[in-house]
Amino acid sequence: MKTITESLLRDYLAARMDGWSEIAISNLHRLPLGASRETFRFDIAYTDGDGRHEEGLILRRDPPASNVDSDRRHEFSAYKAIYGHGIPVPRMILLEDDPEPFGGAISLAEDLRGFHNSEYQLQEPAWQDRLGRIADEMWSTMGRLAAVPVEKLDAGFMEPATCETTAMLELDRWEKTLDTHDTGPEPITRAAIRWLRRNPPPPAQKLAMVHGDFRAGNFLYDDDGRLIAVLDWEMAHLGDPLEDLAWSMVRVFSFGKDERRSGIAPREVAIRIWREASGLDVDPQALHWWELMMCVKGQAIWNTCAHAWQIAPQPAVIHAYAAWWLRNAQDRAMLELMGQL
Amino acid sequence: MKPDVTRAAGFLANMLREDIVPELTGFRAGNVSMTAAMLDMIAEEWDRAAARLVAENADFAALLGNDAVKDATPDLRISALTARNEDLRTRLIALHADVETRDDPQAKDTETTIWAALRRSVEARRIASANF
Repeated sequence: MKTITESLLRDYLAARMDGWSEIAISNLHRLPLGASRETFRFDIAYTDGDGRHEEGLILRRDPPASNVDSDRRHEFSAYKAIYGHGIPVPRMILLEDDPEPFGGAISLAEDLRGFHNSEYQLQEPAWQDRLGRIADEMWSTMGRLAAVPVEKLDAGFMEPATCETTAMLELDRWEKTLDTHDTGPEPITRAAIRWLRRNPPPPAQKLAMVHGDFRAGNFLYDDDGRLIAVLDWEMAHLGDPLEDLAWSMVRVFSFGKDERRSGIAPREVAIRIWREASGLDVDPQALHWWELMMCVKGQAIWNTCAHAWQIAPQPAVIHAYAAWWLRNAQDRAMLELMGQL
Repeated sequence: MKPDVTRAAGFLANMLREDIVPELTGFRAGNVSMTAAMLDMIAEEWDRAAARLVAENADFAALLGNDAVKDATPDLRISALTARNEDLRTRLIALHADVETRDDPQAKDTETTIWAALRRSVEARRIASANF
């Protein structure tokens, strides 16, 4: 994989950004974020017609093998689409689709510094008194995202879906992912898929821009437990807003190893906050369908992690770790939802 | 192997966590932390893997009840046990798909037995660090 250096970045931006001069790059380093994309942080100073600027930026690069079938343009477009619609996200600055300059497509975004994103920090005793606030912030932001009218968004980068088709589209998508990244027969996941096909949910109440990975670990929060920005939009798509709620409550994300979903709040609390913020109903049967569906999605992603080790010349540690850590827990979660645990 | 693999892997995991990770930052710290967690999982799995696979394969084979799935030449290497396990799981998926749509008592009994076998498998494969 091509090494990203400060001089490479400086020369690229000098050629790419009209009117920028005296560009200086410093403190470039990779962050321990995410299993799907490489994330780097750096400082930049430059001069343009408005004077001298200094700021921090985030660079994300598509790797040769990932656990998520997405690309830079998709996530970049998702951030751009939702920016300014009441959901806090970093400002996007630049997209480079061509893999040649950096060995993979990249995007640049503003770096919101001084905040936290760790899901594990929330399990520390010092944070327990702020979990109520964080629960409110997390699930109300998710609820507000569900309420955003998709007609007002530049949503052309997402595959078409309707309230009637989204459930089976998602099931087809993740079953295909399982088939493509086969890591051995999965009796529990396949039983779940058959059940989901035999018991389709009612049509979605509305079509929403679904984040696709909205959980603890994928948003920034401050010392007071306020949500600063929602990150990691590479799986954003049009769909049933219940999908995000269901994903956030998947058992494998119970980082406190107890009944708190996302390691933050019990299931009924999460549902209440989301319902109040979204103004939408939570049909128990529909939510159950989506919770099981999200287990299938999870297993497809963890299997893709395992599969990456079979094909990538330089596999990432996080892919092996995630597959070992999560696959059996995901099976247990499916057994629970199917009443078989 | 001496020293005992479970003990050695656990020791190495702790050494990485306590001595190395504090010396690192960012991406490298994350990678070494995950490597330590993987060593813990290796320590946990090393001693039990063969026994678990033998028991699970016998469980699945008994359930499938077919001479064709009998293991004529048992090979206790993990790779061989895993290959047989995957063959049995493939057959189990087909059987499960068949019986779950039938209403006769025999099919219902078989389905119940399949779920019980899958439950035993999942419980036997649990790792200490799992969230669920």
